[in-house]
Amino acid sequence: MTARAWVLAAVAAVAAGLALPGAPRAEGARAAVDHCLGCHAEIGSPEAKGFRADVHFAAGLTCADCHGGDPAQEDQDQAMSPARGYRGRPRPEAIPALCGLCHGSSPNRFQARFRLDDVASAFNSGAHGAALKADPKGPQCVSCHGVHGIAPVKDPRSPVYPSQVTKTCAHCHSDPAYMKTFNPGLPVDQYAKYLTSVHGQRNARGDARVATCVSCHSNHAVLRVRDPRSPVYPTRVPGTCARCHSDVRYMADYHIPTNQYDDYRRSVHGIALLRNSDLNAPACNTCHGNHGAAPPGVGSVENVCGLCHQANAELFDKSAHKEAFDRRRLPGCVVCHGNHRVAPPTDALVGLGPGSTCASCHRGAGDPAAAKILRTRALLDSLSLGREAVEKQLSRAEQLGMDVSEARYSLKQVNQAQVESRVQVHALEMGPLQASAAPGIQVISKARLAAVEAIREYYFRRQGLGVATLIITVLALLLYLKIRQIERRQRKDEAR
Amino acid sequence: MGRTKDRLEKALRERYDLSYLEHLAAEKKVPVFRGSFWYYFGGVSLFLFIVQVVTGILLLMYYQPGEQTAFESVRFIVTRVKFGWLIRSIHSWSANLMIFSVFVHMFSVYFSRAFRRPRELTWYSGFLLLALCLAFGFSGYLLPWNTLSYFATKVGTQMISVVPLVGPTLMEVMRAGKEVSTATLTRFFGLHVAVLPAVFTLVLGAHLMFIQLQGIAEPESWEGAGAERRRTMPFFPNFVLRDLLLWLIVLNVLAILAVAFPWELGRKVDPLASAPAGIKPEWYFLFMYQSLKFFPATILGLEGEAVGIGLFGLAGLLWFLVPLWDARTPAGARNRLLTYVGVGAVGFIIVMTIVGLR
Repeated sequence: MTARAWVLAAVAAVAAGLALPGAPRAEGARAAVDHCLGCHAEIGSPEAKGFRADVHFAAGLTCADCHGGDPAQEDQDQAMSPARGYRGRPRPEAIPALCGLCHGSSPNRFQARFRLDDVASAFNSGAHGAALKADPKGPQCVSCHGVHGIAPVKDPRSPVYPSQVTKTCAHCHSDPAYMKTFNPGLPVDQYAKYLTSVHGQRNARGDARVATCVSCHSNHAVLRVRDPRSPVYPTRVPGTCARCHSDVRYMADYHIPTNQYDDYRRSVHGIALLRNSDLNAPACNTCHGNHGAAPPGVGSVENVCGLCHQANAELFDKSAHKEAFDRRRLPGCVVCHGNHRVAPPTDALVGLGPGSTCASCHRGAGDPAAAKILRTRALLDSLSLGREAVEKQLSRAEQLGMDVSEARYSLKQVNQAQVESRVQVHALEMGPLQASAAPGIQVISKARLAAVEAIREYYFRRQGLGVATLIITVLALLLYLKIRQIERRQRKDEAR
Repeated sequence: MGRTKDRLEKALRERYDLSYLEHLAAEKKVPVFRGSFWYYFGGVSLFLFIVQVVTGILLLMYYQPGEQTAFESVRFIVTRVKFGWLIRSIHSWSANLMIFSVFVHMFSVYFSRAFRRPRELTWYSGFLLLALCLAFGFSGYLLPWNTLSYFATKVGTQMISVVPLVGPTLMEVMRAGKEVSTATLTRFFGLHVAVLPAVFTLVLGAHLMFIQLQGIAEPESWEGAGAERRRTMPFFPNFVLRDLLLWLIVLNVLAILAVAFPWELGRKVDPLASAPAGIKPEWYFLFMYQSLKFFPATILGLEGEAVGIGLFGLAGLLWFLVPLWDARTPAGARNRLLTYVGVGAVGFIIVMTIVGLR
């Protein structure tokens, strides 16, 4: 080693000592001569070439910050000596910890300067972190961000830039052979579907503001869908979609409404999912799709609703409404029930009065369907109002202390008849509707009889009690008189 | 009518020697004094027992013990069986009135010192009858298999387990297992309709026989009093008719209670549900249950509840053995300690029951 080399080595050693232990040296503390980069560039290494364009190179990091070793050593053996901390190519499972030296929770000089988040911890807490722990072939930092040429996230060349990130995710998530080693149940068609979605099509046209994978699934702390903390857990999906779709300014350029979430959370579906945590209730993705998200077309609305409301959709398809709606290009179920703000269906929807949806098309008593509508409503009312009335009678019987629990219990069967009748309304046929309502009407009649009988029995018991009390009292009185008579006679006998 | 009666009497006389009954009817007397009223509670208790037997047999025709049948059969009785509601309500009300009446009878005997020699056996058998009444109440309470009865039985049997050494085994024997279950239900049913009635009838027979052999106890104030102060009335027909009159009045009260306040059926047992808030035993166990609450968790290193149950056991034993420790004072027949103990016991029971009911 020449004297000049010794001086350079000494300077490099002092500079290295100034850096924080464990953390890469800061910009400006770079070794005066980075022999690693120099040599590898000289031999035409693509890594060295790429690193010169890397955001980390610009920030002052050297090869040694990731690979270890001593860049001040000109001699290859010395520079790449394990004794000088050379670790070579980091093991995949060690990469998050290595990146985490700066992008982690421990203090380092870059944090404040580049406003770095603790993404290493986030990564470790997510499904990707767990996959890596389970298998070194699992995803880690370089899987998404690349290596030796890492571009800033906002750089369109970055694999995690909005227009690139879906392809980056698809690299693994569209590979069935790879995915089945981690999660065999997970579909691998997300990217294909995404390309068909409105989001995907706009993204392909270069719109960096539309939703990509990370918009919904998050980036570093990607959680499984079944994890309640995940932004795509059923109860959180509406809020996740609403982050963009309810933002008036964000959505201004797209010219679509921003009140969907507001409507949804007030709807029967929104209440079931968000308030009652009923995971069977539909969220945005149930109707619009998730990766292939698109508004359902006019002709497919009942198919979408029919995913859950199967019987209703089938009956609707066979009804006279289907043809009439198709002819007028009316969007099926939405015509009567609305879309995002689906109100709990009540019998009041059927009828010709205000508040009924039939009236929006069938106007007035002169309409040919008016009689059928009114008969349908009367039948539904006989279940709901009939039940209400009989419940009042049963309550009165209970207040009188009578046991009508069996009759009250039997009213549960009315629910079934109501549900079936309300479904049957979609067929627009009176016969099946009457058949559905009949068991409920029969139960109501029996319960009414039971209530009336219980109330009658109550008064019968009171009257019976009155009569029995009277008889017993008279008997007691007669007995009392008899005792007096006997004792009077005894006294007379004694006196004699 | 008169001729039929004469012919029947003649037929009986030809076959049986009725002189004993005639003598009994002619000679048996009942003392008449200020406290005569208390004599009637023995008869009222007997009447209510008869009501219990009759209504109990009627209920037995429909009641089916079992997980799926006990509650349902009682509901069937009160909703479907003609006058089933009345029979069940009378059975429940009569049971409570009977226990009340037996308590009153016991205390009247205690305060009038009627347990003294030579009537010790009458007292012992009477005490046994009270214990059997409580056992009737405890076992019968579970039979409708409703939530309240289930948890009250659970708490009640749990208390037994704190008795040192034998407690846990005793509790398992009562429950027919580690938990209150349908096995407990069938065990209680067997006790309620077979074992207890048989034992009760025997003890009651003995109790009545002792009274019959010795006659009705005379009041303390008669000791040393002249014949002019010893007013009596013939047992038959005077006392019997008066008894009958009171029975009619009690029957009337029973009918009013049963119709105006029908005994509730409650909700069916759900052993997995948590115990309903404010669960309490029947009123006649309430004074013990409430007192145990006032015991600290530990007393001299022993479990407080165990000490409490031990004290109640001791008190019950002393009460049972009162003819042995009631020594007459040299000055005369009065033993004031006895009165103080009695007043204390009545006061304690009333106060603790009221506190427990609140």
